[in-house]
Amino acid sequence: MLTSSNNTITKSRKLTSKQLPKATPWIVAVASILVAILISFIAFGGFNIPVVAVLAGLINLVAVFVLSASYEGRRKATDRVATTLVTSTFILACVPLVSLLWLTISKGGAAISGDLLSRTMLGMKGVLDQQYVAGEASLAGGFYHAIVGTVLITLAACIISIPIGVLTAIYLVEYAQKNRLGKAITFLVDVMTGIPSIVAGLFAFALFSTLANVLMPGSAGIAKTGFTAAVALSVLMIPIVVRNTEEILRLVPMDLREASYALGVPKWKTIVKIVLPTSVSGILSGVTIAIARVIGETAPIMVTAGFAKALNWNLFSGWMSTLPTFIYDSQLRPVSPGSAALASSERAWAAALVLVALVMLLNLLARIIAKVLAPKAGR
Amino acid sequence: MKGIFVKLKHLAPSAAILAVGALTLSACGGTSATGEDTSGGDSDLQGTLTGIGASSQKAAMDAWTADFTSENSGVTVNYSPDGSGAGREQFLAGNAQFAGSDAHLDDDEVEAGKEACGADGAYEFPVYISPIAVTFNVEGVDELNLSPDTIAKIFKGEITNWNDDAIKADNPDAELPDLKITAVHRADDSGTTENFAEYLKATAEKTWDAEVDGNFPKDFGGEAAQGTDGVIQTVSDTDGAIGYADASAVGDLGTAKVKVGEEFVELSPEAATKVVDASEKVEGRGEGDLAFDLARDTTESGAYPIVLVSYHLVCSSYKDQETVDMVKAWEKFVVSEEGQKSAADSAGSAPLSDDLRSQIETVIDSIKVEG
Repeated sequence: MLTSSNNTITKSRKLTSKQLPKATPWIVAVASILVAILISFIAFGGFNIPVVAVLAGLINLVAVFVLSASYEGRRKATDRVATTLVTSTFILACVPLVSLLWLTISKGGAAISGDLLSRTMLGMKGVLDQQYVAGEASLAGGFYHAIVGTVLITLAACIISIPIGVLTAIYLVEYAQKNRLGKAITFLVDVMTGIPSIVAGLFAFALFSTLANVLMPGSAGIAKTGFTAAVALSVLMIPIVVRNTEEILRLVPMDLREASYALGVPKWKTIVKIVLPTSVSGILSGVTIAIARVIGETAPIMVTAGFAKALNWNLFSGWMSTLPTFIYDSQLRPVSPGSAALASSERAWAAALVLVALVMLLNLLARIIAKVLAPKAGR
Repeated sequence: MKGIFVKLKHLAPSAAILAVGALTLSACGGTSATGEDTSGGDSDLQGTLTGIGASSQKAAMDAWTADFTSENSGVTVNYSPDGSGAGREQFLAGNAQFAGSDAHLDDDEVEAGKEACGADGAYEFPVYISPIAVTFNVEGVDELNLSPDTIAKIFKGEITNWNDDAIKADNPDAELPDLKITAVHRADDSGTTENFAEYLKATAEKTWDAEVDGNFPKDFGGEAAQGTDGVIQTVSDTDGAIGYADASAVGDLGTAKVKVGEEFVELSPEAATKVVDASEKVEGRGEGDLAFDLARDTTESGAYPIVLVSYHLVCSSYKDQETVDMVKAWEKFVVSEEGQKSAADSAGSAPLSDDLRSQIETVIDSIKVEG
């Protein structure tokens, strides 16, 4: 039926209005960019990227409207302008992302090496960097300890916050039924979402240093551990996990639950065997978003875990470094100030690349898990 | 639920590969910055020392910890460069074994130190002397003499041209061009600015009427640049520029000789050390308190007065013998000839004089176990 109506339209051309060829928007766009470059050269005496971008966008918009209005009519022209506007905004939104990725990959890629990945900063001093800048030695130091720290602290934060977050969400959706406690929890979770990360760090540090002081007076300093950092990250992570899981659980059709109840299955079993399996892929992607959010946190880690230079596998004792604090420290306070600060900067870029890769890998992993665990449709 | 377990089984191989990969990575992970085995050293000290404080010492601290831990592999030295104020506060609260600070303790803090460290209070001594260079970039001018008042007027914006009479008076032999002066200062809060301002306040008080602060006075104008590197970059790129920066960062740029007494003193580590030796100790402090009132207006021949002096703070007594041994070994290394040379190589600081070192060593020797 569809094909036949299509055929009628193609046969009776008179019924359709005049239309610009499909490639027109792209040709107009390229032409606008060229004109913008020309104007930039004439008016500003050179190639000026922001000027060209803004000009090209405006010229493109006007050109599309004029061209379309004169050929296809006003209604079609308005539609085309809307399409162009949406596409331009999308490209605009991509600019920072692409430029950030490009900068990280080009700068980090140039600096990264197996040595950087497998060494720590133990025994690192300015002279080694000066030798590197002078071309007498290869780049010393590395951030293996920071990779280990990032993975361990994030893992510990997950172990704390995923059960709490998921169970809270189950309570809110399945048990609370909008009672007072449920409303109070929802409100508190909303407040928690807005907590600045540094406050979470200070909270965790204050909690553990007070605890250490009570147990062993004068030992508040030992509260700076990877575990304290994990608690700080959990404070940031729990509200995100709760929010995401709640949304997903609400999407599970009521029919499924009712069908289960009708068969005499108790509530807890319905949740464990029907609701959770149905929504597991969504829950996992929510968790991944939460991890990606906290893995790049700098401020709470600085307060709670310090700046370690050596490898530390123990979450419960001693300072730890993570990739964000390593980047911050290297860039702001180079091992060798002055001209050899370049070497610290190179290490920081390489670490930034690893961090970005880690987050991307996590996202990929979540996609795969979600796909494998997703309930089969159409049964 | 069974379905989930079946599905998880599918994931098991990839999870196993990931785990094995992580283990391999951890197995090949070296432990040091150079990939060499660092578990040498012939000392049997064991433990962790935690310090908090000035970020100015960070580069020197990196060098000290590197060399110290290579000789004492059982000791971990942590240093968190949170700032001088944070360092003093955390140290006095007992959260760190030592602190680094660009300023010595004030009277209230000395009292607090008695509570934190026992009857003798906290000990403090200078460990890091870093000269600040007045650096310039004027084509055709290699040497420049400047009196404090001229420097103050330049950075205040009162002298705006290189052929000004005041500069000519200091440099009778130089050919100064008719060129606009671009005075470059730090845009960010910095100890370098604070020490530079303190010097100008002490030596040219009439001209430099602003409060001494880590931020450069806004009313004085001039070009602002971010960080030490930014100042050096701006000065190198601008003909007619003058700026101030940590001496280690200056590189090939010219540095001005500064008028002290009747002569012009060139910047050198020895000259920077001399100003500390010429300074008086702060009055009314205990024997272990080597805090100095820096003689910025010294007339001592050959002393270079624009310096940043950073202290270490330690307790006069600690709870146990192990900590006492560790702190003693660590601080002795920091002030030792070897430690000071290492900092000079890596961070461009000026080594302590032998006289001051022996004074500090006496202080360190008197650290004891509480009680």
